Amino acid sequence: MNCVIERNSVKALGKAIHALSRIGNELWLDPMVKGLALRSVNSAHSAYGCFLFSPMFFKHYSLESGSKQGSKAIKCKLVMKSVLPLFRCLTSIERSVERCHMSVSTATDRVIIQFFCRHGIIKTHNIHFQESEALQAVFDSHLCANVLKAPARLLADMVVHFPLFQEEITLSITPMKVTLRNYQQGGKGVLTLSGPMKTMYTEMSLHPNEFDYFQIGLDSDITFCLKELRGILSFAESRSLPVSVYLDAAGKPVCFSVEDMVLEATVLLATVTDSDSRDHSQPTESLTPKISRCISSPAQPVAMSQGPGSRSYTVPDELIASSQGSPVISCPGAMRLPQIREQTCLSVDSQECTSSTSSPASTKVCSLLFNALSSQQDQDGCAAQLPVLACYSDEENADDNPRSPSQ
Amino acid sequence: MKFRGKITDIACLNHFTTFSRILKSAVCLNEADPLCSGVVTTISKLTKTCVLRLTPDHLFFILPGKVTNGGVGMWCQLLQANFFQEYQMEGVTSEVQEICLEVSPEPWSRALKTVQSAKSVKLKLTRKHCACLTVAAELPTLSSVGRVVTHDVPVDVIPRRLWQEFQEVGVPDFDVSVYLPPLKTMKSVVDRMKNLSNFLVMEANLNGDMNLKIQTDLVSVTTHFKDLGNPAGGDVSSQDGGPSQSRDPEVMAEVTVDIRKLQQFLMGQQVNPSKALCNIVHQNVVHLVLLHEDVSLQYFIPAVA
Repeated sequence: MNCVIERNSVKALGKAIHALSRIGNELWLDPMVKGLALRSVNSAHSAYGCFLFSPMFFKHYSLESGSKQGSKAIKCKLVMKSVLPLFRCLTSIERSVERCHMSVSTATDRVIIQFFCRHGIIKTHNIHFQESEALQAVFDSHLCANVLKAPARLLADMVVHFPLFQEEITLSITPMKVTLRNYQQGGKGVLTLSGPMKTMYTEMSLHPNEFDYFQIGLDSDITFCLKELRGILSFAESRSLPVSVYLDAAGKPVCFSVEDMVLEATVLLATVTDSDSRDHSQPTESLTPKISRCISSPAQPVAMSQGPGSRSYTVPDELIASSQGSPVISCPGAMRLPQIREQTCLSVDSQECTSSTSSPASTKVCSLLFNALSSQQDQDGCAAQLPVLACYSDEENADDNPRSPSQ
Repeated sequence: MKFRGKITDIACLNHFTTFSRILKSAVCLNEADPLCSGVVTTISKLTKTCVLRLTPDHLFFILPGKVTNGGVGMWCQLLQANFFQEYQMEGVTSEVQEICLEVSPEPWSRALKTVQSAKSVKLKLTRKHCACLTVAAELPTLSSVGRVVTHDVPVDVIPRRLWQEFQEVGVPDFDVSVYLPPLKTMKSVVDRMKNLSNFLVMEANLNGDMNLKIQTDLVSVTTHFKDLGNPAGGDVSSQDGGPSQSRDPEVMAEVTVDIRKLQQFLMGQQVNPSKALCNIVHQNVVHLVLLHEDVSLQYFIPAVA
């Protein structure tokens, strides 16, 4: 992989790394035909972040590594502590870096990041990587009952009232209002040497008409970790992008997503399940930690996608596009990442879901919409073994409103 | 015991914002106590908390200074009528129309930070999971419906037997009283001096001269401020205790203080006060008095032994 990033975009890349550093200690790099994906997951597997930069984001983007023509793009994993310091001071990067070259050198097992700065200074960083399968989470935002969309500024204004050390917050949504409050564990506060420590309780509420888009399918109360969210909010604010929030009942993951012409960012956070909301212990994660080789276990994801009747599913192009058996973080609620182009929504015939390969016809349909998808499938020998999370009939219902609540 | 207050006027809210900034400085003052040096002192909760005293006419915000361990004391007084459009209180008993609450400064200043951008604020004494001071702020929005943010700040009611600590502190019999130079100037001087020494000598005389001095083995630095002016006779405080008439105007009264305490005091002053003066009790204490429109602040920085 070899890419060149222009001055203004280097800052965006830096901000993305900052946001991911709040989530996990390792950074997964996944160069794909449709772009470079940067991902991270936390150790408890309760938070996942993915930043996908399309080729248009780069001045130059190629999957081949320099001298080795025709070599496959390497998927790798870097230690966040090695990468973050390079982008730590974004203001000085903005001032002095003219462009940035990133390349993966398989010969030396290093990712080479070069900053071409003012006055002819070139800073070269060689970071050791570990070859790894791509990291992916499976989440279908279209299955979420509630969808909110708001400018980043609004969400930032909501969380500013909570202290930086606040771990978890609870978001409640009803047709009348949206409330954010800090999560009380046990309700009695924490016992310290000087007596029970009384925590400050903060609550804020907003009217639905403050949101750009507000869709509510069911009243819900979800509790999730605030710290991991702050990264993507700061990223969205820096690009002045609206943030979409996909949420469902307590226990199901919540998805925060930001997109524009050249990039797409998603953060998935596990939420506390209802029965655990009174526990003193860590909230149980509903994103089950399952980094498994997905190839040989089609049953799980497929079973999840078997829904009643005519559910509309979107093609999880990220999952199928993985080269070797990609680790899948599977969730009990049939979750997949939201799509870039959400208007493409293919209806599913549930009977077809049992097959673990996609029929050639559907592959072709797929390729009309997602170029990367079909080409990857042709290349990858194990495509046939990949679990299919969505089967599609030839008659796709392109008129489906992607945001309508699922049946 | 009841308390309810409401601020709806924007100008009053701005004044209240000044108050919250002062609180931030209070948090700074209380946190970095050099004698603690890493050991958490749980000897007295009062050094880590602030006291809010409510009377029918005034609000007092007090940081009790524990002079024995070098702590700094702060006293802040507001005339409630200048801030609140609605103010109702009932004291602990029908005869005693006063309430004393102990509150942790950090959450309190965070709650007040929200108030800074609010359209209107309501303060109420409530009982939720414990006794709380509820701050409910309505924030302005583009739509017709405002956003409401509620903070429940936990408080402890202070029993009456401890109240004498929080009664109005008399101005000490000072030796010299002088107006302070512009606080920004003082701050930049003190910031640079801090790099050289831990202790600073503040001295002033009745001729309107003030010096800030530091001394190390290698270097000694003195900054001279002239023509500052002395408050006539007494000062803004109601107590008497003016300087004795026979004092030589050239003689300096000096106090050696921990430079960090002075720096923290100056850091918190982001708004220029309408009046700022300093009373010095020779080798004893520096008493700084600031008047920000309707808020009066007094700081006591003790001399270092």
